[in-house]
Amino acid sequence: MAASRFTNGADYGIGIGLRIPHYQHILGKKPVVDWFEIISENYMVEGGRPLHVLDQILEQYRVVQHGVSLYFGNAERPNREHLKKLKTLTARTRTPWVSDHLCWGSVDGRYTHDLLPMPYTWEAVKITARNIREAQDFLELPIAVENVSSYAEFHVSEMSEWEFLNEVVERADCGVLLDVNNIYVSSCNHGFNPMKYVNAVPAERVAHLAGHTKYEKYTLDTHDHPVLDPVWKLYARAIERCGRVATLLEWDAQIPTFEEVHGEALKAAKCLPHEKALAAA
Amino acid sequence: MKKLLPPPDRPAPVRLGEVQRMMAQAVMHPLGTRQRMRREQAAVASAIIKSNDRLSSFSRLQIYNQQYWWRLRDAVMDDFPGLRAVLGRRRFDRLVEAYLDSCGSTSWNLGDIGQHLEAFVGEHPLLAGLCPILAHEMVRVEWARAVAFAGAEEPRLDPQALASGDPCGLRIGLQPYLTLLEVSHPIDRILGRVKQGKRIRTVEATASGRTIYLAVHRQEFSVFYKRLEPGEFHLLAALRAGDSLEAACAEAMGKSGKRPSEFGEVIQLWFADWMRLGWLCEWAPYSRPTDC
Repeated sequence: MAASRFTNGADYGIGIGLRIPHYQHILGKKPVVDWFEIISENYMVEGGRPLHVLDQILEQYRVVQHGVSLYFGNAERPNREHLKKLKTLTARTRTPWVSDHLCWGSVDGRYTHDLLPMPYTWEAVKITARNIREAQDFLELPIAVENVSSYAEFHVSEMSEWEFLNEVVERADCGVLLDVNNIYVSSCNHGFNPMKYVNAVPAERVAHLAGHTKYEKYTLDTHDHPVLDPVWKLYARAIERCGRVATLLEWDAQIPTFEEVHGEALKAAKCLPHEKALAAA
Repeated sequence: MKKLLPPPDRPAPVRLGEVQRMMAQAVMHPLGTRQRMRREQAAVASAIIKSNDRLSSFSRLQIYNQQYWWRLRDAVMDDFPGLRAVLGRRRFDRLVEAYLDSCGSTSWNLGDIGQHLEAFVGEHPLLAGLCPILAHEMVRVEWARAVAFAGAEEPRLDPQALASGDPCGLRIGLQPYLTLLEVSHPIDRILGRVKQGKRIRTVEATASGRTIYLAVHRQEFSVFYKRLEPGEFHLLAALRAGDSLEAACAEAMGKSGKRPSEFGEVIQLWFADWMRLGWLCEWAPYSRPTDC
């Protein structure tokens, strides 16, 4: 399962999100990191420092692209100009797959720059799967969709979030970027059992797992460290189901030192099957 | 996992596009007093969003409404700290709200959020407080800084092409990351003070009455402001507009007030400097952001 068609045959271990405050440390100290996740949009620029830094990172590390604005769940079709720029970047990074969110975020060319939750309807399944397939065909790379954390549910929903995810990825024939922290956040907001979600995800399609420490302004405002325990439990269960898949730790706000982020990411290694076997031996 | 089947005889639900349009309009609607969602959005909230035991549909929609405004306002604030220093927090927030309500974001890239701000401030001087010209110039320079930071760089002009080309027909381009600006306030110095967290001095906020010619560019991936001589500025501007080298030199000399012999000497120094800075490239049409 480590390398599958959803990872383009690539076998990746534990990575961390590449963030600007860590540039100097990474380029200067060259720490051992299996891979970095980059936010595609930060490097879909014409020139200057962002691309210069990226090229230096690419000389040393493997990079996987993660996006925040493809909006597969938009009722409208994917933006071709956006896809063209994204494809240009994939040629530069040689990312084995591309991920973005299972959400929507723009209407009539106006962008919210948010990851808005989907109404879980059959129509949305069909449209979202169509958009993912279209992007996948255009990019000529596997796509993995990430579950988002949400604060709202729609009257029109006809199924649960995990049922929606399953239907979409099956019809689009794409991978899943399973964010266990987002599952936890949504379970708190909507009152479902997060383990039920993890158990329902199509394990064979999980391209990589993510968990992050995120400042949640609203319903989870103090869940910085307290979320970690239940999230690690979800992660352990996900690994149990999916096997050794690429794992990412993101730190989106109040970013600490590189060592702290890296150390946190390496905690995930304890859950990996081969690490457990080594410990037992 | 049990396979779900779409129910065959259920009436068609509200269309996805319709739900998204309703929610997007509510999310992008300006916040009301105390940064709360406006009451009139309650109908939309209850029409599309469920309540639960902790939050009403209104409160749930409000989360997205607030996030939208705070995220976009912060993005503008990050890109235009000088404008914020000129206007002050309250007036800046009012201007940004009016701008976002009018233009919104039309790009997937949040870095493009300020692309229409120059035109907007130019069209709405009353929103720019007591010093609309200073505010307008600040926006122009700060947007130019964003362009200089991540704008394209074309291959530098081969010095041979410059030396051997016929000045009558030779057109020379400027790097896309380079912006030329005429301002009446020392914006470069004001931005230096803002960066250091210092207050803007009254003397700097007052138009000097003389034009400052500014190039906003980058060197070794850092952004710089370079003051230009009038003739230098006009020559570069004419080249960017597509004039031939000969026509550009003639226009610049006319505006510089220098004698031909004097001008011939300085022009060589300017070209040497521009080549060193990598500003010159093959000519291509240049476009700037326009109204939203």
